[in-house]
Amino acid sequence: MKVKIAMVLRYVILILGGIIMLMPFLWMLSTSLKTQPETVKIPPIWIPKQLQFSNYIDAFKAAPFAQYFLNSIFVTTVTTVGQLFTSILAAFAFSRLNFYGKNIIFVIFLGTMMVPVEMLIIPNFVTLSKLHLVNTYAALIVPWLASFFTVFTLRQNFQSVPDQLYYAAKIDGASDWHYLWHVLVPISKSTITAVTVLQVIGSWNSFMWPLIVTNSENLRTLPVGLQAFTGDAGTNYAQLMAASTFVILPMVILYLFLQKYIIAGISKTGLKG
Amino acid sequence: MEVTFKDVSLSYDGTREILHHLNFTIPEGTLVSILGPSGCGKSTTLMMISGLLAPTSGKIFFGDKDVTKQDALARKVGMVFQNYALYPHLTVLENIMFPLKMAKVKKPERKKRALELAKLVHVEDQINKKPGALSGGQQQRVAIARALAKEPSLLLLDEPLSNLDARLRIEMREEIRRIQQETGVTTIFVTHDQDEALHISDHIMVLNNGDMQQFSSAETLYDNPSNLFVAKFIGEPVINTLAIADFQGELDQHVPADILKQAVSVGIRPEALQDHDSGDDTIAAIETTVKEFEKYGREKNAQLDFHGKKLLTTEIENTLEKEQKLTLYLQKSGFYLFDQDGKRIFGGDQDVK
Ligand SMILES: Nc1ncnc2c1ncn2[C@@H]1O[C@H](COP(=O)(O)OP(=O)(O)OP(=O)(O)O)[C@@H](O)[C@H]1O
Ligand SMILES: [Mg+2]
Repeated sequence: MKVKIAMVLRYVILILGGIIMLMPFLWMLSTSLKTQPETVKIPPIWIPKQLQFSNYIDAFKAAPFAQYFLNSIFVTTVTTVGQLFTSILAAFAFSRLNFYGKNIIFVIFLGTMMVPVEMLIIPNFVTLSKLHLVNTYAALIVPWLASFFTVFTLRQNFQSVPDQLYYAAKIDGASDWHYLWHVLVPISKSTITAVTVLQVIGSWNSFMWPLIVTNSENLRTLPVGLQAFTGDAGTNYAQLMAASTFVILPMVILYLFLQKYIIAGISKTGLKG
Repeated sequence: MEVTFKDVSLSYDGTREILHHLNFTIPEGTLVSILGPSGCGKSTTLMMISGLLAPTSGKIFFGDKDVTKQDALARKVGMVFQNYALYPHLTVLENIMFPLKMAKVKKPERKKRALELAKLVHVEDQINKKPGALSGGQQQRVAIARALAKEPSLLLLDEPLSNLDARLRIEMREEIRRIQQETGVTTIFVTHDQDEALHISDHIMVLNNGDMQQFSSAETLYDNPSNLFVAKFIGEPVINTLAIADFQGELDQHVPADILKQAVSVGIRPEALQDHDSGDDTIAAIETTVKEFEKYGREKNAQLDFHGKKLLTTEIENTLEKEQKLTLYLQKSGFYLFDQDGKRIFGGDQDVK
């Protein structure tokens, strides 16, 4: 009986937690279908009298969202692929190769993880402007081509692979390069998927950095584009929420498909690290 | 491929030497076991043969060729690791094909050779499974097939049977012997199980603390152990060891006096202690007291007390009573004396090293 109560209690808490987490999403969906007066009505209403699907069309037309979509996809893809590539190489070096100063370099890199991202914005901006890269695609991509968090996560995973597998590959005639891409990467699939998804989401949602380093319309990414609904005359909440919905939709779909890998990948490195 | 070590030493960290001045030649086409207790340097020796590890000093030859400076890629040996080290993301067939792919063998040819090997090691019905779905014995056979795939002139096996249960172990070692004889590949087999080594190999190298103790046939190891360590390490049940001081004149007249003076330890195999005199083969007789007597089936074992020391014998003809006095006859074969360095100075064939 005691066990049963504990079970029920556990589920109640989990469900409550789930609802709280979902609340902003539901509110976003609900608002995106309201008329402008309904969005500011007090007390708030959850279900609009008439569903305003036209908000979506109006929102999409309010700014060049097709261009923003392309920009976001381009920046996210290049950033993620590039970052994975550099991180896989670095993680391999840290986990398998012996070179002078390996541990010291690793500790220094580890130290950079303690520095909050916000603190890096100004130095990075200064560097980019000295290189005359401000307001280019490079500004959106280059600073994110290396991530020590990804390196660290992958290194932990690579290190858990037994040495003998590496030796076996050597005996079988595989070079380090071949071993890395044809043995180590495939067997680290779940961790790599997890860091990829995290990176894609981070890159897709990033707001502050693109806002700072770009100012021309044709370089805008989706999150920055959402500003279109805030003007001097106030904010068009209904359209803003409609736009937000189609901006985050790809990420939600991605997450739903890959959540198995993400949870496995994260919890695995969590145990090791 | 004949393998020769010339004065090879190894230290991992530059301070502690793990292997000391190894000198040996493994003849072409033979199956040699490297036998020794855990941590004695067996895997290290194998890693040096494979080229995964370079010796700190000394030279390694394959045939007449000095390969000391070559790495594993260049030496082209086949190797089976202690935990098999199969590629978990590839199927059995892909695992066997992997070395061939690295050697740039064309795909149809690759597949054909891999299928032949799968047949040789009897895993042809498992080729589409991933290693995780195989039993330990099957994984081991796949690992052997993979090691044989590029037709190495040298096959190295690092305790390949240690993860298997007793029955499978016996089956597998016969299998390895069969494959070795069918392919004629020079094979080096690492184990810490003497039974395995005795059954499978043409020659056995006994290693202890990084020193080679003896390198000879199983029979020679048993009949003519070159030192006390080998005598104690080989043989089941273990040889009885006593100090020479435990004897109170029983050996005088029977062993030359100058040898007796140098002797420090005495080794007597359990079957060399008989309760009946066999005439010429008897070296000496000793008086003992029976402490335990066990009889199962045809076997009769006795624990005896000899001047306060314990002795074990397996050569009892009569039924014994506890605490009864018993005269035991020491047999020539199986009685050894060792000097203070543990070297055999009496017993066995003194010409055999
Ligand atoms: N990578 C290494 N770095 C430093 N010392 C090592 C390394 N590998 C092995 N050793 C040491 O070398 C010695 C021999 O090790 P080795 O693995 O060759 O023993 P082994 O005979 O194969 O033992 P086992 O039967 O347990 O496998 C041991 O004392 C071990 O601690
Ligand atoms: Mg070992």
